Amino acid sequence: MIAFENVSVSFDATEALSCVNLQVAEGVLCALVGPSGSGKSTLMKLVNRLVEPSAGRVLVRGADVAGQDPARLRRSIGYVMQSTGLFPHRTVAANIGTVPRLLGWDSSRIATRVADLLELVQLDPDLAQRLPGALSGGQAQRVGLARALAADPDILLMDEPFGAVDPITRRDLRAELRRIHAGTGKTILLVTHDPEEALELASQVVVLRDGAVVADGAPAALVAEDAPEFARTLLGGGQPGLRRLSLLPAEVARDACPAPADAPALPEGATLADALSRMAETGRDVLALGKGSLRLEAVLARGR
Amino acid sequence: MRAGEAGRALLLLAVLAGLLLPWLTVAPNRLLPGTATNGFSGLGWAAAAALAALALAVPRRVPAWLGAAAGLGGVALLLVATGWAAADSLEGLASAARAGLGGGFWLGLVAGAALVVARGAALPGPGRAALAAVALAALWLPWQAGSFESLSLVVEYRARQAAVHAALLRHLMLAGAALALALLLAVPLAWAGFRRPGAAGPVGATLGAVQVVPAIALFAALIPLLAGLLALLPALRGLGLGAIGPAPAVLATAGYLALPLWRSVLGGLAAADPAAVAAARAMGMTEGGITREVRLPLALPVFAGGLRVAVVQAIGLVTLGGLVGAGGLGALVFEGLSQFATDLMLLGALPIMALALAADALIRLLEHRLGASA
Repeated sequence: MIAFENVSVSFDATEALSCVNLQVAEGVLCALVGPSGSGKSTLMKLVNRLVEPSAGRVLVRGADVAGQDPARLRRSIGYVMQSTGLFPHRTVAANIGTVPRLLGWDSSRIATRVADLLELVQLDPDLAQRLPGALSGGQAQRVGLARALAADPDILLMDEPFGAVDPITRRDLRAELRRIHAGTGKTILLVTHDPEEALELASQVVVLRDGAVVADGAPAALVAEDAPEFARTLLGGGQPGLRRLSLLPAEVARDACPAPADAPALPEGATLADALSRMAETGRDVLALGKGSLRLEAVLARGR
Repeated sequence: MRAGEAGRALLLLAVLAGLLLPWLTVAPNRLLPGTATNGFSGLGWAAAAALAALALAVPRRVPAWLGAAAGLGGVALLLVATGWAAADSLEGLASAARAGLGGGFWLGLVAGAALVVARGAALPGPGRAALAAVALAALWLPWQAGSFESLSLVVEYRARQAAVHAALLRHLMLAGAALALALLLAVPLAWAGFRRPGAAGPVGATLGAVQVVPAIALFAALIPLLAGLLALLPALRGLGLGAIGPAPAVLATAGYLALPLWRSVLGGLAAADPAAVAAARAMGMTEGGITREVRLPLALPVFAGGLRVAVVQAIGLVTLGGLVGAGGLGALVFEGLSQFATDLMLLGALPIMALALAADALIRLLEHRLGASA
């Protein structure tokens, strides 16, 4: 869906990205993580030509973006940013309807779409006629998300979308994004400096450092023992082993033979980290999981 | 100072003005100094009634609408009674005799009007509009009834009615032309400065330098400059350009207006939230679309502030056009000055003040509207 082929970007004398190769398949939620200045935002902005490569090619839906009209390309790709960038002089409804209007939709179709989107991002329909100044931070971010989704783009770019809201709102918004991603199957590129957010939301995590990709893979793989040291440190939060267990469902280590009758049970959907916690709590090295059992050795074997 | 104290101070000012300063002066003709009638003595019972009405406007217990209405009634009564007193004082005198307004009258009028405005400010929008309409009616009805016809200022006006109307129209045209010229200069310069910030510095310095030149010197300096230009290019005369007359007045005034206009357009364009502009670009708006739909609407409130300053300055500065043969209300003021004819000076100066205040209030209203929507 999105491919970077030997892409380099230079601003004046400094090289922001050097020879990046990356593939993001259709329907994947790909998180770009790295310290500030690592080039993660620059990499994302290549997709809708907000940044031009100095070398290499960027392919979107199989076509080189260099040959496409920037305005038309951008209208086909949703964009969410940390500071929301809502137009302060336009109502919430007008803000959400921006891209459909640019695409020439008629006003009744836009109105219907705006109503649907407010429902999708779980906002009160009464907010439609308000100005953005009257919204809370979380509401404004939801409007920003609705605006990005307005013309139903198959690709969504999100530049630290939850960076400026409080932790509780951020958790709600993450859940919202996970739900919307599951429901729509859009390809999402998410820039974040929060490793936890990347691991929690993404099916593909790309770690950048000094303008180069240092790791690219599934979240659990990047905190495993054989993962690159930088990625392991950045994503592991000091406890890469526990982090990895928290990313794996308990089912992967299940033993088919039943647990002893007095073994504590583990609920459905629990992770290996939950299992380890339960064992620490109860002092037992075997738990009941569904009809089978879960042994400490099997859990530990998965942590590597 | 609290609102109530301000009201009491204004009332006291009106009373002192009425008691201690000359209210009306009766002179044998329009140029000779006259003998002053002190204070309210000429107004009789009306002075007491007017003061009582003004006093009703002071206490905060009285509702704003009632206070403003009472104050307005008091001011109107002062005006009408002064007109009557002027007619009485001229009884039996030669027709050249004039009854002029003294310092006490003006001070009392300003204090009373300030009291009404202070109370009226507390009213909601429609209430203020109604108050303004009633105030205009309170001036216009006695004017129509001839209550003011004996006042020297009105006699002077009647004698020069056509000239005053022509001067007012000319004043507005000069100010309008200067504003248009300044906009033609400032808007493209501001746009260029916005696109290339390096260009903004020298432009700002140049426009700022104009402000440093005293206005009267600039008006005068333009006469030889234009004369030199016309000697070089006589064809310009065919376009109606002259070394004296409207050209130097409009050019000099436009030179002063350019800075506030340029600064407000530039400031307004730069005031647009960078995140909103970035979002507009990321959503696929063209540069023209971003300017039209994001930058300009967000710039309007800032621009309206600059426009207000420029319009008020234009109305004031064009007055100096009277010195370079451009006409306008300034010509009346300067003619009055040269003749020591106070009424003639006022005939020019009062409309200038009224125009400036009205323009300021109107654009403020516009600014408020724009500010509320942005």
